[in-house]
Amino acid sequence: MTGRGADGQGGDDRLPGLESRLFDIPEDKFIEVVRLLERVRDHPEVRQTFAAIRPRLVQVRPNRRPTLKRVLCMPFEDVLESFGGVDVPLGRIERRVIDPVWRLVTECGDGALIDRLDRQVQETAPGNLNALRNIGRRLWPMAAQALRGAVEGAGEPDTGRQALWRSLLGDEEMRRQLLDVAAFLEIGLTIESLKDALAPKPLAALDDVHVDAIGQAAQAVARQSAGLVYHLLLVAASRMANPADLLAVLNDMDFGKARREQPVIFAQLSGLVVTNLEERSARLEDKDRGTGHGAGPGGGAAVAAFAPEEAVAIAERLVAGIDTTSAVMDVLADPLYRERLDAVKLSVRSMVSGAVLDTAPAGILTAVPAPAANGRPAPVDEDAQAAAEDHARALRRCEGLAGALGLHEPLKDALASMEKGLMARAQALLADYPQVAADPDDAETAEMNLFYALRLLELVAGPAKADRLRTAIMAATGEFAEE
Amino acid sequence: MLKGAIEYAPSTFEERGAAVAFTTPLLSQTRVRRGERSKLEVLIPSLSQGMGIYVVAWKSVPEMVSMTMHDRYLHELIVREESCSPYEIRRATLKAARRGLAGPKAAQAARRALEEDEEQGTLTHYLLILSILKAVGLESPEMLKAGIDTDEGQRLTRQLMTRAAESLRMDATLLYARLADIAAVTAPVGLAHSPRPGRLTRGLNDLKGFRDGMMDWARDVPSDTAPVAEFCAEVAQHTIAIGEKVLGDFHRRIEAIGPLMRDWNDAFIRVRTQAARMAWLLDGWTHITGAWEVAQAEDRHQQAATVNDLFRILPLLPRQESSRDFVGDSKQVKVAHRRSVRMLEDWRTGQMDIDAIRRIEAVKARAP
Repeated sequence: MTGRGADGQGGDDRLPGLESRLFDIPEDKFIEVVRLLERVRDHPEVRQTFAAIRPRLVQVRPNRRPTLKRVLCMPFEDVLESFGGVDVPLGRIERRVIDPVWRLVTECGDGALIDRLDRQVQETAPGNLNALRNIGRRLWPMAAQALRGAVEGAGEPDTGRQALWRSLLGDEEMRRQLLDVAAFLEIGLTIESLKDALAPKPLAALDDVHVDAIGQAAQAVARQSAGLVYHLLLVAASRMANPADLLAVLNDMDFGKARREQPVIFAQLSGLVVTNLEERSARLEDKDRGTGHGAGPGGGAAVAAFAPEEAVAIAERLVAGIDTTSAVMDVLADPLYRERLDAVKLSVRSMVSGAVLDTAPAGILTAVPAPAANGRPAPVDEDAQAAAEDHARALRRCEGLAGALGLHEPLKDALASMEKGLMARAQALLADYPQVAADPDDAETAEMNLFYALRLLELVAGPAKADRLRTAIMAATGEFAEE
Repeated sequence: MLKGAIEYAPSTFEERGAAVAFTTPLLSQTRVRRGERSKLEVLIPSLSQGMGIYVVAWKSVPEMVSMTMHDRYLHELIVREESCSPYEIRRATLKAARRGLAGPKAAQAARRALEEDEEQGTLTHYLLILSILKAVGLESPEMLKAGIDTDEGQRLTRQLMTRAAESLRMDATLLYARLADIAAVTAPVGLAHSPRPGRLTRGLNDLKGFRDGMMDWARDVPSDTAPVAEFCAEVAQHTIAIGEKVLGDFHRRIEAIGPLMRDWNDAFIRVRTQAARMAWLLDGWTHITGAWEVAQAEDRHQQAATVNDLFRILPLLPRQESSRDFVGDSKQVKVAHRRSVRMLEDWRTGQMDIDAIRRIEAVKARAP
């Protein structure tokens, strides 16, 4: 502590300024810096920097220097939990599992093989996926066996090797995930070729070619073990924008040797989809509570947890998931699922109401300034205008969600109230215009304010209604008056 | 009103019309020209995914299409322009964007572009003065040291330019007038030795980046859209090849500033024609290269949709400008294109496609 204090650095900022700068520099420069940092990646400060810049690493995905640990994670990288955000992959593996997996594999696995493969990885160029998969082909089955052996032999007399496992005893969630990782590793090669067929991630829609690829991969895995098909499907679902879409095609798929298990797999996966939707909506509520939104009635003084556009985007993804799942669940006719999905919908509805509808007056109307009392126009605030436009767009995008979330009436009221409010504010500016028109600079400022109000009205009420205001503005300014 | 879809292979740039940066998705980058009896016409390509071009009387456009407020304003501005070359259309477009009607970011970009135009004009003027003085052997270190924006620098410049006029056997006022004419024509292109390339030269460089981007994308993302991207790259490459020749010729003529001043009547017309040709060649490409840059942050599905959108508005060269029949070649590509083109829903429903408008405005904010 004192050491850190002496050089004036906090523990969160060991490479001062670098981490934040790494979010702003151009992509090619970012990749270059990542390459340089990778050469000294074992240094604790560099490791910390990597952890801090992970969101951008995920976004840019530069070809990182390959390591055997990274090759080990390839088959389950799609189901690894993301950093922050609301979306959670189906059947996710937590990142805290990676280190124990690696230690169990290196402690319980074939040491000579690991050393040999490690040397090969070090000689492999970044981005050489085929070479890495070739290494994985030998690593993954051995690692799967080592993991299973360690987890299943946990209760046996201490051989010295189980020291790690003993320290994890009692963590049932960890045990479940270690076994899941072993399953992903067992079918590592099939998963890797399926990833190629389901690229680029996330898939916006499942085409016939994707469905065929999933079907063929499922048959290949079923020949190995029927129980592993479920894990293959988790990877397939995690590569899709709306994982619930997979449910819709599942019943028509031929699972080959796992045909008899198909109903069970379907039920397992559907249950997981619903749980996943619940988990995502619970994260919404957590985030909402975290910012104090929803703590008081009306939410007027509270800050919404999500920006309006972000809220609508999250809601669109969740509603798409709910809709697909509902349609599929109708086949199962299970009222419990219906209730659980309705509860998810309610939570999404509350998030959208709080972040988009309730905040609209403060987010949109206040961007249009009131006429100033001093005879000068109010200055133009383009940041406020940009935020108000984003809010207005989010409000309009809610039209696509209103049916699913039962928001028709509140949305109609919000749009009507915004239209009325904007019109009133624009009329006030228009009435004030002749007083400021004499000075060219003031006239230009006043006109900008009017045009920005016109934009907001256009976004909220559409061009036909906005055009009346446009005509009134043009008449007031005389810009297009016939000479 | 609507004259019906026609197969369209214009002979000249003027017949092809100048691209207008409208924000209404259906009208984005449609071309405007003076038709019969100098009446303004707008040419709308591939309406509802069909083939050919619709020729619509300018005044009928607001009745036919639900236009954004930005476009109604721009529409009225263009009616008031005497001609509709890329220069006038750009001037009107920047004015509309500056008013804030395409959003705050586009307004800021338009203000920046206008400031840059002014700075480029001043810089070109200054560099041309130096060229003239050099041509008549009157280079002055004192003048350079004082700088043209100081009183002393301006006094020295006037003195030297008077001597230069004598050396060129012309009146100083005439020399200044001609200098102003050349500067106005040259600023958008830029001088070969200018520290900052002109707007059109930058446009040509951006086009090279776009060509490379299209070729890479066609190779890396095999799909129905790959041949469309390849075609876009070919059209870009053809335009670049012509552009580089025009640019080289233009710079050679401007560098020979002594003969240009002396043989003014013919030489200036040639220079002006080359500059105008450069503007016509690159007309419509600013939006395309900007849209592709914006698409870099998007996923491949969205990028494929962008490639198809760009194909629809690709500035194919008129017959007189190119030996290759791009209009004919484009028909081969359209088969793949029609399978994946983004629907222009607003045309059918009259509803504003807010997302599509936003994408267009994002391009405007980047490349006004």
